[in-house]
Parts: sequence; C-alpha cells; structure tokens
Amino acid sequence: MYFTNVNLGQYIPTGSFIHRLDPRAKLFSLLLIISAVFPTKTIFGLGIWTALIILLVYVSKISWRIVLKAARPVLFLVIFTFAFNLIAGYFNIGLVRAFYRGFFTSARLLVLMLFAVMLPLCTAPLELADGLDALLSPLGNFGFPAHESAMMIGMALRFIPLLMQETDKIIRAQLSRGARLDQGNIFKRVTAFFPVLIPLFIIIFRRADEIAIAMEARGYEGGAGRTRRRPLVWKMTDTLIVILSALIVGIMFFVM
Amino acid sequence: MLTKKTTKRSNTPLIEVRSISYSYSAKSTGRALNRVSFFVDRGERVAILGHNGSGKSTLVKILGGLQDTLEGECLINGVNIQDIEFRELRKIIGMVFQDPENQIVAAMVEDDIAFAPENQGLSSQEIQARVDKALAQVNMLHKRENSVSALSGGEKQRIALAGALAAKVDCLILDEATAMLDPKGRIDIERTLREIHSDGMTIIQVTHQIEAENFDDIQRVIVLGHGEIIWQGNTQEFWDKAEELGFELPEEFKIRKYFDEHNINFPDNFRVKVFDTTASHEGLKVKDSDINTSQHEKFRLEDLSFRYDEKNYALRKINASFYSGQWLSIIGKTGSGKSTLVQHLNALYKIQEGNIYFDGENLPQKGEEVHELRQKVGLVFQHPEDQLFSANVKEELAFAPKNAGFKGNELDEAILYGLNCVSLDEKFLTRNPIALSGGERRLVAIASVLAARPECVVLDEPLAGLDASYQRKILGMLGRLRDEGKTIITITHDLKTALKYSDKILILRDGGFVKEGSPVEVLDELMNILEPEAWPDILRLSVEIRKVNPNFPLLYDYQEFISCISQM
Repeated sequence: MYFTNVNLGQYIPTGSFIHRLDPRAKLFSLLLIISAVFPTKTIFGLGIWTALIILLVYVSKISWRIVLKAARPVLFLVIFTFAFNLIAGYFNIGLVRAFYRGFFTSARLLVLMLFAVMLPLCTAPLELADGLDALLSPLGNFGFPAHESAMMIGMALRFIPLLMQETDKIIRAQLSRGARLDQGNIFKRVTAFFPVLIPLFIIIFRRADEIAIAMEARGYEGGAGRTRRRPLVWKMTDTLIVILSALIVGIMFFVM
Repeated sequence: MLTKKTTKRSNTPLIEVRSISYSYSAKSTGRALNRVSFFVDRGERVAILGHNGSGKSTLVKILGGLQDTLEGECLINGVNIQDIEFRELRKIIGMVFQDPENQIVAAMVEDDIAFAPENQGLSSQEIQARVDKALAQVNMLHKRENSVSALSGGEKQRIALAGALAAKVDCLILDEATAMLDPKGRIDIERTLREIHSDGMTIIQVTHQIEAENFDDIQRVIVLGHGEIIWQGNTQEFWDKAEELGFELPEEFKIRKYFDEHNINFPDNFRVKVFDTTASHEGLKVKDSDINTSQHEKFRLEDLSFRYDEKNYALRKINASFYSGQWLSIIGKTGSGKSTLVQHLNALYKIQEGNIYFDGENLPQKGEEVHELRQKVGLVFQHPEDQLFSANVKEELAFAPKNAGFKGNELDEAILYGLNCVSLDEKFLTRNPIALSGGERRLVAIASVLAARPECVVLDEPLAGLDASYQRKILGMLGRLRDEGKTIITITHDLKTALKYSDKILILRDGGFVKEGSPVEVLDELMNILEPEAWPDILRLSVEIRKVNPNFPLLYDYQEFISCISQM
C-alpha cells in the first residue's frame, strides 16, 4: 500500500469498563492527564505515568499490538524528537546526558500519545462526537459553532479512511501512467504530485456535495431539535473517574 | 385550502408534477428539464428511465424537494412542495442515491440508521424502535453492531436504504441505487424493494438500465429524453416499445417474446430466484468455439503468491499465461485477489514469492526499467475518470506518453492514436475533461492510457456504470486492440460479457487459482463459483430446460439459444 494502513484510531469495541464510561468523563480525564504529563520532569514521574498507561491498556482489554499500530503515525515524531535531542545535545552536554535527555523527552511524548490514542480506541466515533458536542456547547453561547465542530470531527472519523483508500488508488493509477512521483528536486516533486492532488480534491468536493444532499434528504438541519438514540447518561462511576484523574494529577503536581 | 386538501385526499396523487422546467444556464434552449408532467399514486411503483444526460438527476432533486423548479410546480398530497415545511417533507419522501459511501454519515451501522429519526427529534425508545424495524426490513439485523467499513457494497446500500426507511416515509425515491453494485448486491436490493413495496410503500426508481428483476414489480414506466417525457405507459406496453425507445431488452425478455411468438411455453420455474445449484452440470454438452491461440506468450506467472500480512494470502500460487492477440477475462468475487494480481503486472505490487516473466524475461521490479514496463503494460483502474487532472483533453492524453519519453511529432501522433482508439473526435482535444459526460470521461481516461501505445492493456471493470451505447463502444475498441495483437486483460463481474467477448477466462477464488481456459472450458467452474444470480439469463434458462430435456446444450449466447430452440 502506498497510502493506507494509517489507522487513525479506529474504534475497537471490547465492552470494557473504559468503553462504558461516559465520553465526557473520558475527554475530561484525558485533558487533565495530558496537561500533567507534559510538565513531568523526573524519571520517577514518567515511571508512574508509564505504569498508568499500562494499567489503562490492560483494563481496556485492547491488545498492545493494536494500540501501538494506532500510535504508529506519531512514532516518527517520537524518533525524530529522540534524534534531535541526541544530536543537538551531543555538542553541548555530551553524549551520555544527551542520550538521557533524548530518551526522556521522546518517552514522555510517547506516553502522552498513547494516552491520546486510547480515547478513540475505547470510544465509539459517534459517542466521541456527542461528548465533544456536549463539552463544547457552553462555547455556543459565545457564538462558537459547537455542534458543527463536533459533527465535523465525527464525519472526519468516518471519511478519512475512505479518502486514504482513494488517495492510494489515485497514486497507483498515476504511477501506472508513468508518473514520477519520487524523483527530482523539491519543486519538481511538488508539481509531480498535482496529478494526485487535483483528482483528490475533485473527489473530496464531489463527495462533500453529495453527502450534504444526502444529509438534507434525511432531515438534517443542524443541531437544534436533534435527539439521540443513546443519550449520554452521566453515572456515578463517571464522577468517580473524573475525581480519580483529578486526584492523580493533583498528587503528581504536588509531589513533583 | 385545508378543507379542500382533506376532502380530495383519496383521489389526490401522492406526487403530481405539473409542467416543471429547469435549466442550469440562462439559455432557454437545452434545458435540463422542459415542461415535465406526471403523477405517482400512493402505493405505486414507477420507474423513470433515461440515458445519461436526460435530466433524471435534476428531476430526482426536484421531487425530493432538494432543488426548486424554474417553472411549473411539484405537488405532494396536493400541496405545493415549496409550501411544505422541511421537517414534514422529510417524513414523506426518503431518498437513496447511487454511491452508498456518500449517504452513510456514521461509522457504525445502528448509529447511521438512527440519523433521520434523531433529526426528527424523537425519543430514544422510538428511535431504537425505528432502527430495529428498518434493519429488519432490509434483512440486516445481524450486522447491527458492525462498523460500516466492514460491509460489502451491497450491504452498505441496504444500510442507506434502511437509513431512508427509518424516517418512516410514504415514498422512496431511488436514484440509480443499484448502478454501483455487483449482481448479488443488486438482487438483494431488488428483493428488499419488492418486500417494501408489497407493504404499501410508494417507490420511484430512476435508472438508466432495465433489468428483468426490476420490472416484475414495477407498474408504470416513464421515459425521459433530453429533459422531456418521451413516453409513458404500463410495463407491458413498455416491453413492446423498449427497443424503439433506445433501451436494450434483457435477454430473458427477448426470449419470452420469441416464445410467445412461437407458442412455446416459458419454463415457469425460471422466474423463481431460488436455484437448485446442486444440480450436476457434469457431462454437459457445450458449444465449440475456435480460440485464437497465438504463439507469443506475453506474461507467464509461476507460483505467484502475495500477502498483505503474515497470515492472509491475497494470492496463492497462481500459475497462468497471457498471450498476445488474446483477450483474457479475470473473474472472481470481490476480495478474490483480482486487483492484486493485475497490479503485479506493471510492478505496482512487488513480487513476494514466485515469478512473473514478461516477454520471456523476469519482470522488472525497480528503477528505470519499471517506468519502461509501465509504458508497455497500460493499467486502467476502476472508474478511471476519477483520475483525470488536466485542463484539457490534449494535456491529459499527453501525460502517459510524455512520461514514457515521447516528444515532438511522436507525442502528437500518440495523442491522436489514443483519441482514435476510443473513436473520439479531434475537437475533443480542447475540451475540459470535467465538462464532459460520464461516458466521455471514461473514454478519455482509457485513451490517456492507450496513448502511450502499450503492448498489453489491463482494465478493471471498464464497463461499470456506463449505459449500453458506451459499453458497446468500449467492447468494440477492446476487440480491435486485440486484433492489433495487443494482450487485453479485463477484470469483470459481468459474466455475460466475459463469456461472449473474451478468448480466455481466468477464475480466482479467495486468492487461489481455480481454472484458466476458453469460456467453454471454464463454464462448469464458473457456475460452481458464482451464484445463479450472476449467470447470464440464457445460461439460467438453458439449465432449466435441461432439467426437462437433458439433451439440450448449455448455452449463454442468444443467437445460439434461439437456433437450438427452433431445432427442438
């Protein structure tokens, strides 16, 4: 495949405790945790976060293979961070400390990303969109298109895999016509991609147009007056999870 | 107004169109729709037929209240569509379009079907009840918790259908809803539509092709041509007029007609869609045909295997030879490895196991040699018109030859060669591909591959979604290219065309090689592998006749069938 297999966190239903949580609780806890992982400075702190993500993956009943596969698009970033720190640090602080710093920074980034990919893996796309909708809706009072943004994210989750497949097909078709997509200088390479980009944009616009008509035909006129097949129900466990996340984050801030 | 509406209700048609017109440009000539009038009664099933560019799509949008008319009015239950509130209208009319992917908004089956009732603001219990009922109506209850991306094309379209039904509409409008599906998917949709119709649903089916299954249940036909209604009447009358109106009769109907005229009884069980597939086809008498066995072996595949991951083989030990001056059809169900196989031929997939010989030498796998190979082996993907990118046809046709190093005079000749192959006029060279019709775009896309003068042409479903006249053009072109000595390879679902036109057929199942040979040699295997729904009408009919008269040969060609029948 030239351009597929990029798994942007496809939902893996296992029916675990994590899966059954309210998406709002999951979103909120994730925000808290990410904001706390970022400023982690010690190896001990990072160790605790690592233990937590291992626990989270265990409870979610999702295999590590799937989790790592979902995180693959960001692995490049992790490796890049490591290499950059190593090389940049080598001249200033010596190889050993540069290696340590590179390792620490990239490991922290990896843990952060693993927390982030767990959200779409454990939350059905529609629930995720509904959760975002609910969390963003206070902003609606200030004119922020809360429902529309959530709807857009939901649609993106549905259509990105499809567009990946289509991009792959166009690349193959143009290669078949002898296109040289991987040769020459930067300018040549960019222009060489026009035969891929133009058909892709035409397809995207045509799809967008047809989807809009199909949605209208099914009575969609925005968020107002819409109900849900499965309305979000906030349970006691959701409150507990948010409190637990807040406690962990609070302790980590306090201890570090 | 209100009292008039209620008193008239019983004899007011569900939909009445009064002299509607629509135009995409200011000119009064060449309107997309010109003074179209008709009505559809409650509970009726009506087909609106028209070729590409007849104004069907515009009419669909107007009937669905998704576009205003320029002149005239469209009445729903006697009320002008523009006076009906959006929410109310959406409870009366549901729509299903051609591409299921563009109608499914949620990633999970149930979530998607719930979309319309959610928009209606119903309670969650009521929404769930609607979802359950709609899923049952399309026989998809077992897939309720599936992800949409894991479904086949036909299943996706049934989800789209359920999505419209969940709005609890009185009338369904289908716009070419089966055009993108394989025979199995098409039959499943038709079966569902018959059931929904018998439960009282009004169905308006807009389409460009006529198939026997579709018309059993349809009461009336309206034929649209160049934006005007050129004929309307009941289905029976339509059959007598079909050819005159420019529509090809399904073979089954041609034969019915022949039987009627010659007072032969039509086998009753032919219409029964449950076939006895266990009936033995062994010892069948098949017609002989002479195969053009050219001596030059263009491709030889030896034990070719390919897998995307450790466990799942997309191809397993394929052995085959493709010759110059031959037309080979590759047949297999979706997922049988057809596309993976042909993409090995121009090195889009690299060989993992086994070998491919091209003109007796190892198929190049990298570097400049691959570019040379791609000039010699032209690959036309499914829906190649989606890959056009140039501002005019000339540039599009120049793309492949330029990449292959053609310059100056040679390049101009190559462009004209491509254009000639698909029998398009030179005046097309300055046209913008986007502005062309779907069929013309397909021809341009095929020409853009042929322009590089490949020795071997591979086409994936070249006829999909085209109307009969374009199908004939492409089939004629492929025959000519074959006669020029090129190797032609087509992937197809269309068994009738494959049997009729190709010299050889290669059958794949689950990535494994099943059989290769002339249509006659592989007929037996084809019948074992494909559901009877996918068989040509003639073949099904001759199987039925053989049950009564075992001496009757197994046939798939109309002319031969008629001559055998008349000898009986």
